[in-house]
Amino acid sequence: MSGHDSKYFSTTKKGEIPELKEELNSQYKDKRKDAVKKVIAAMTVGKDVSSLFTDVVNCMQTENLELKKLVYLYLINYAKSQPDLAILAVNTFVKDSQDPNPLIRALAVRTMGCIRVDKITEYLCDPLQRCLKDDDPYVRKTAAICVAKLYDINAELVEDRGFLDSLKDLISDNNPMVVANAVAALAEIQENSSGPIFEITTPTLTKLLTALNECTEWGQVFILDALSRYKASDAREAENIVERVTPRLQHANCAVVLSAVKMILQQMELITSTDVVRNLCKKMAPPLVTLLSAEPEIQYVALRNINLIVQRRPTILAHEIKVFFCKYNDPIYVKMEKLEIMIKLASDRNIDQVLLEFKEYATEVDVDFVRKAVRAIGRCAIKLERAAERCISVLLELIKIKVNYVVQEAIIVIKDIFRRYPNTYESIIATLCESLDTLDEPEAKASMIWIIGEYAERIDNADELLESFLESFPEEPPQVQLQLLTATVKLFLKKPTEGPQQMIQVVLNNATVETDNPDLRDRAYIYWRLLSTDPEAAKDVVLAEKPVISDDSNQLDSTLLDELLANIATLSSVYHKPPDAFVTRAKTATQKTEDDDYPDGNETRYSETLSNAANGGASPPSSSSVPHAAARQPAPAPAAPAPAAVPDLLSDLIGLDNNQIVPADQPATSSGPPLPILLPAGSGQGLQISAQLVRQDGQIFYSLQFENNTQITLDGFMIQFNKNSFGLAAAGPLQVPPLAPGASARTLLPMVLFQNMSTGPPNTLLQVAVKNSQQPVWYFNDKILLHVFFTEDGRMERTSFLETWRSLPDSNEVLKEFPGIVVTSAEATLDQLAASNMFFIAKRKHANQDVFYFSAKIPRGTPFLIELTTIIGNPGVKCAIKTPNPEMAPLFFEAIETLLKA
Amino acid sequence: MISQFFVLSQRGDNIVFRDYRGEVAKGSAEIFFRKVKFWKEDGQEEAPPVFNVDGVNYFHVKVVGLLFVATTRVNVSPSLVLELLQRIARVIKDYLGVLSEDSLRKNFVLVYELLDEVIDFGYVQTTSTEVLKSYVFNEPIVVDAARLQPLGPAAIFMQGTKRMPGTAVTKSVVANEPGGRKREEIFVDIIEKISVTFSSSGYILTSEIDGTIQMKSYLSGNPEIRLALNEDLSIGRGGGTIYDYRSSSGSGAVILDDCNFHESVRLDSFDMDRTLSLVPPDGEFPVMNYRMTQEFKPPFRINCLIEEAGQLKAEVIIKVRAEFPSNITANTIAVQMPLPKYTTRASFELEPGAVGQRTDFKEANKKLEWGLKKIVGGSEHTLRAKLTFSQESHANLTKEAGPVSMTFTIPMYNVSRLQVKYLQIAKKSSSYNPYRWVRYVTQANSYVARI
Repeated sequence: MSGHDSKYFSTTKKGEIPELKEELNSQYKDKRKDAVKKVIAAMTVGKDVSSLFTDVVNCMQTENLELKKLVYLYLINYAKSQPDLAILAVNTFVKDSQDPNPLIRALAVRTMGCIRVDKITEYLCDPLQRCLKDDDPYVRKTAAICVAKLYDINAELVEDRGFLDSLKDLISDNNPMVVANAVAALAEIQENSSGPIFEITTPTLTKLLTALNECTEWGQVFILDALSRYKASDAREAENIVERVTPRLQHANCAVVLSAVKMILQQMELITSTDVVRNLCKKMAPPLVTLLSAEPEIQYVALRNINLIVQRRPTILAHEIKVFFCKYNDPIYVKMEKLEIMIKLASDRNIDQVLLEFKEYATEVDVDFVRKAVRAIGRCAIKLERAAERCISVLLELIKIKVNYVVQEAIIVIKDIFRRYPNTYESIIATLCESLDTLDEPEAKASMIWIIGEYAERIDNADELLESFLESFPEEPPQVQLQLLTATVKLFLKKPTEGPQQMIQVVLNNATVETDNPDLRDRAYIYWRLLSTDPEAAKDVVLAEKPVISDDSNQLDSTLLDELLANIATLSSVYHKPPDAFVTRAKTATQKTEDDDYPDGNETRYSETLSNAANGGASPPSSSSVPHAAARQPAPAPAAPAPAAVPDLLSDLIGLDNNQIVPADQPATSSGPPLPILLPAGSGQGLQISAQLVRQDGQIFYSLQFENNTQITLDGFMIQFNKNSFGLAAAGPLQVPPLAPGASARTLLPMVLFQNMSTGPPNTLLQVAVKNSQQPVWYFNDKILLHVFFTEDGRMERTSFLETWRSLPDSNEVLKEFPGIVVTSAEATLDQLAASNMFFIAKRKHANQDVFYFSAKIPRGTPFLIELTTIIGNPGVKCAIKTPNPEMAPLFFEAIETLLKA
Repeated sequence: MISQFFVLSQRGDNIVFRDYRGEVAKGSAEIFFRKVKFWKEDGQEEAPPVFNVDGVNYFHVKVVGLLFVATTRVNVSPSLVLELLQRIARVIKDYLGVLSEDSLRKNFVLVYELLDEVIDFGYVQTTSTEVLKSYVFNEPIVVDAARLQPLGPAAIFMQGTKRMPGTAVTKSVVANEPGGRKREEIFVDIIEKISVTFSSSGYILTSEIDGTIQMKSYLSGNPEIRLALNEDLSIGRGGGTIYDYRSSSGSGAVILDDCNFHESVRLDSFDMDRTLSLVPPDGEFPVMNYRMTQEFKPPFRINCLIEEAGQLKAEVIIKVRAEFPSNITANTIAVQMPLPKYTTRASFELEPGAVGQRTDFKEANKKLEWGLKKIVGGSEHTLRAKLTFSQESHANLTKEAGPVSMTFTIPMYNVSRLQVKYLQIAKKSSSYNPYRWVRYVTQANSYVARI
């Protein structure tokens, strides 16, 4: 090849595009190739070369792979903006997908999958089908990923054309690359689908564990991550799995090691033998430590994960604290994480060594690191009672260096130490007071003031010290003002002499009249009133004994920790946040079913049921019609609670029924159960909005309550709903009268369905925007509960129920358990569900369990066939549903959970 | 699974940009660069390698001054992405010989072709140069290596020692040499990065070796290779903890805390005779990584004294003693020491007849720097510095200065005593005798003396 590629970046004097056009149509191959390179160069620096589309596509028919790849690169980039022209390329693609050269076949499917143009997608199916069964593994592995691409564009097409089954077949492929890609593709599809697509069964597990040994390092990560969803049935299986995975800990690729650690930790939960667990812990330690020899970026990820692991299993690294000592050249983000782990691993046995390190860090250059090191000493003091004294003496040593930020940080932690060990170390207060005048950070100041107030009786000149702060009271930040207020009150209660009495006057005056901070004012008034009405009571309140604080170095609560540990080796474990907190891609919760475990069981079990029911079992309508009229509406509250009591009581007198037939276009106020607050007054500049979707007389309403806590009258209310899964939209304008300050109003807004539907799998998000003439637009989110859509005509005859159940494939059955829910009375529950248009069909006994069958229907005729299994009076309800539309299942389960809990 | 991959220059210019899934908006490179450049969060001024901005997760690693970045929206394995970024850098280097802004720009078509084979729809396919060779058709345009700072640990061999064919390490694995035929050769480098912390009284507080056996093969026909290590090598500290005092210097056996191997390595006879066998793939790769905390003799002893010398004055004396044999020479030594913040001036005094040494007082961060071109084994060097302060020191000067840190490279020396006893190449014919280079080097990682 001649010259350098960079020459393609140079611009020509003549019009660039016409010149390129000419070269692209040159009769010489080399010239054409050079021209395409120039086009790509222009494209990568962001120039628009889309006008050359036809000319570039003309170069596509070539045997030269290098040139072909360039043209394909161009196509991927511009097909979206030139869909009609992209069609021109289809024939070549289809032809290429049958080329004798496997590289060309693979290239064709790979590229077609990247062109997200509907018309092209149609043509992709046949080549893809062929390529999934290609003789060449390179083609198969490319095709496997292509299925995921297609699913992303058109999920239905993938399901209809049976690509999922082909993909599942590839799990048994003899080429590990193909297996790995099939696993990756299936895992992604599962992630974006609500139905069970990629279930890890025992045979799959065995297959994948075998493939693991032959896979590339990256494939190993795909497989380990997919397998981590597998729940072993017992300790023995868990041990077997662990045994197969353990060799991965020796891998040079950190990602493999961490994914293996995740898998082992998960299976360890099931292993009961303490010997085995101890042995595993021992095996995991060296590889975890070795991660800290990798690049600093990887170290950071490893440290964040180790932080979680030692919270659950501190023994793994208990003896390795030295490896977490900070290196001089560690980046700051690594040092900070190491400090955290050092605190977690600090024990009576190693504290001397640890303190020596912290002391050294506290004199380093980086201010933030120094601060954290000082704080770490304090946290160790709080954590380790026997070492507290040693920690404190190190802190005092540091204070003596008189480095401003060290002193301030030390005082902050010493305050916590006093709270942890009351009446133990107060002798050091004198030393602290020496640095009083150097404090300039609010937190340090507030801490020092707290100490002075708390121990006023032991500090001879406490009044003088506090007085020195009082001069600047109005300028202090709120944090310091609050502490000054409290400390002065404490001082006064402890030493009710003249000096403090004067001080308290000044402070109370400053904190009530002179301030506009409501927190400060409120606290000052409370003290004032306490002091003026009952000084003894004031003592009891202000000088009450404080609860002893504890160590916060294991700060994650155990449910969050559980969730994070299940997400080891993912971003979640780096951010220490559950995945939903930062993953924004639309996705519905995945549902696990046990279908595969009972391939035929459902059907037989079920038909038996119905015959039982028919043979003089319970006769449903009569048994369930014990009238509980009050249960017409879910959770009716007899009287409207506090807000907006007066107007609502009036409408209450008129009666509920009357209320419901108020014409839709008239403002309707009604009482009823309190509505969930969706826009708190704090976020709405004083306007509070509560709302909920309700169903009344076969119609869906949005029940809204507005509360005006502002100082002005609000009027001109309007409402709008964002696209949502059900196309919910307002059927008429929002009718809210002008709201005077302090007033509230309630309204029922009639709703219609199927107006502005969002695409993608159904979800429950309802985004609402409300505006009025005085304020900016307010946005809030509501949750659609599926049961408001259950129609009144949802009752099914028993025979048609049975037929429908049979006609639906097993894959349409979804199951979920609600371990926390108790059904105390079958009748009450049946009535409750009936009130929400879930119709009882039959009931049977199975061992000691009661099984109930219901039907429900949502508009556009989607039926739900429901089976509830429970033991009356015991916690735990199992709900199985069958529906032609299983992606609605998660929504259904949410609804039934709400209904059952009500 | 990643959404985009891009390479940015230090100035934030887009050198390479590939979008694999179209889920993340185009402006991501700019958002990323601004965030990293002006990072200020959690009291830190350096962005961590992984962070989230508006639902997009950004990963980055720095390689020879370039930022290799990936984005995604989903909860992926971060170590996978970071490792991938490092590997992409390595693959590109294998192909281009030299990794730099210039070489990337000159070879952008090749780089895009590589990226398409390395990642499909955000999923890693392969990062093996060997495998990629069969799918990638563009030929690299080799840039002139002499002008550029080479990359990677092997680059250290270019300094100092004349025996080594320095250009080899910047040679592309795939490109043909100007002469036509490739030279048959293989490089095995034992690179040890050592970390030592000395207490103020000279005791060793912590010491650690991070070692790698790095291989780069230019052998045609992929012959099998056997690599024999010390026979008395043992792995695992035998249940002992760091709190046990091991018999110092012990029996002479080399004890690794932990080690791992490249996937091409077969360990069939490793337990028996400590031999590794492998068919080396093309490109540079680590055959084995190991970690040791077994005691070793530190190559340098550092002695530092700081004391007041009259009002607002102090004197610093730093002594460095090389404790390795005199036939070994360390090079590019740099000694650093933070001085009290109120230091205004420092004047230096080197020992008489000192050559190849330079000293500096960095006013901005109040740091003393002392550079030495080389230090011969067994020798000792001293630096004296007179400091002037703008204010009285509060307490002990030793709390406000130091620690002393040191960086160096010692070719043909390794502290762990791990050795490649022999390197055997399966013979194709009796005349086949490729060049084999087995090289050792020791480098400072965190080498610190507290004062």
